[in-house]
Amino acid sequence: MLKLLREVFRTGEATHKYPFAPLEVAKDFRGKPEHNAVSCIACAACTIACPPNAISMETDVAAGTRTWSISYGRCIFCGRCEEACPTGAIALSPDFELAVARKEDLTKRAVFSLAACPSCGEPLAAAKEVAYVLDILTRSAASPEEAERARFLVSTCPACKRKHDVEQLARIGVERQMENR
Amino acid sequence: MSAFISPNDLTVQPGGLSMAADVARMKGSLLNNIRRSAYVYRVDCGGCNGCEIEIFAAITPLFDAERFGIKVVASPRHADILLFTGAVTRSMRMPALRAYEAAPDPKIVVSYGACGCSGGIFHDLYCVWGGTDKIVPVDVYIPGCPPTPPATIYGFAVALGLLEQKLKAETHVEAEGEAAPLAHPSIPYDLRVQLERQARQMAGYRQGRTIVEEFLSVLEARDATPVERRIAKLAGGEGDPRRAEIFAELAGTFSRMLTGGTP
Repeated sequence: MLKLLREVFRTGEATHKYPFAPLEVAKDFRGKPEHNAVSCIACAACTIACPPNAISMETDVAAGTRTWSISYGRCIFCGRCEEACPTGAIALSPDFELAVARKEDLTKRAVFSLAACPSCGEPLAAAKEVAYVLDILTRSAASPEEAERARFLVSTCPACKRKHDVEQLARIGVERQMENR
Repeated sequence: MSAFISPNDLTVQPGGLSMAADVARMKGSLLNNIRRSAYVYRVDCGGCNGCEIEIFAAITPLFDAERFGIKVVASPRHADILLFTGAVTRSMRMPALRAYEAAPDPKIVVSYGACGCSGGIFHDLYCVWGGTDKIVPVDVYIPGCPPTPPATIYGFAVALGLLEQKLKAETHVEAEGEAAPLAHPSIPYDLRVQLERQARQMAGYRQGRTIVEEFLSVLEARDATPVERRIAKLAGGEGDPRRAEIFAELAGTFSRMLTGGTP
């Protein structure tokens, strides 16, 4: 009897104080994915990585917007979005208190604007994505000419790039023929 | 020969159940001032059993939901709270509805887990309805795959009106001139990519990122001590031999790239 009592006192109280006191979760606990819309470039890498399609992206060409959204109700907290994100805009937080009474509260959205191709005016990609890539390429460019070329390559749509290539090739052809005469 | 029958006409689309006005009033007055235990009946609508394990983890002494009077019972006729887990497979729809009808009014319906909330990873499968709310009116959604015992207790507290929900729907609209900041602008891009790749190769994506961020912050630091000595200090002061080895490898790559060699 005394032995048992001693054991009881030695063990103490095993029950967690939660919800009366905050619960300390494990170091690598995977909780609610926290999205930082300012550092997000709307590249859609997370939407492809997300196994249950909890993260999705819709492009509205008429309005010129691209809407990123996450449904915490469908998220399985695997952390693939965090692995795929090139800018570290989405990361799993230790927050686990996600229960809601209204289903709409499980959805978080971020609206980004689209950049238009300077030659044809068609929407090309999210403006922030173009600006981000351009920033990296300009910083790592060896010469101003290379930076200018990177600017053209990044901000032009594939169709216009093809057209530009064909035009250049045709010009080269004519010049060579003129030389050969 | 019979006329063409569309396969869509052969499948019944589930109609949602509605709640009578007096039942809604009863539920309101119950939740307004709940002064008794709440008994829970668990309805498995085709889950993977992960949610069930977490529900039973929530009533173990470690989390002890029974100190709030929350008790798992064996029959829906004793239940105040119905806990629906799983993505609602076609064959579990009728048993789930029977359990719902068998529970006395006023009852609280909780949709448990990612599958219960919206179908989860099974949301577009042909044999599931994709969520509890497709067949019965749901009061509280507890997301998680599976929800941890504390998340379960928090969900019960929200269902009983004891705690407020924290999550709110949000829409961020891109501000004028908003730009994503470039990480580590003072470090050459090629070097950063090489270090990130190597760290990920050795430690995996998630841990690799934290390790390389630590390494890059040491490289970036405005400090009087030479960078080589700072890196050596980082690798030498690391207690975990695996991390120390990764830091040493990263330092090797850094010095090779600095002297113009191939990484």
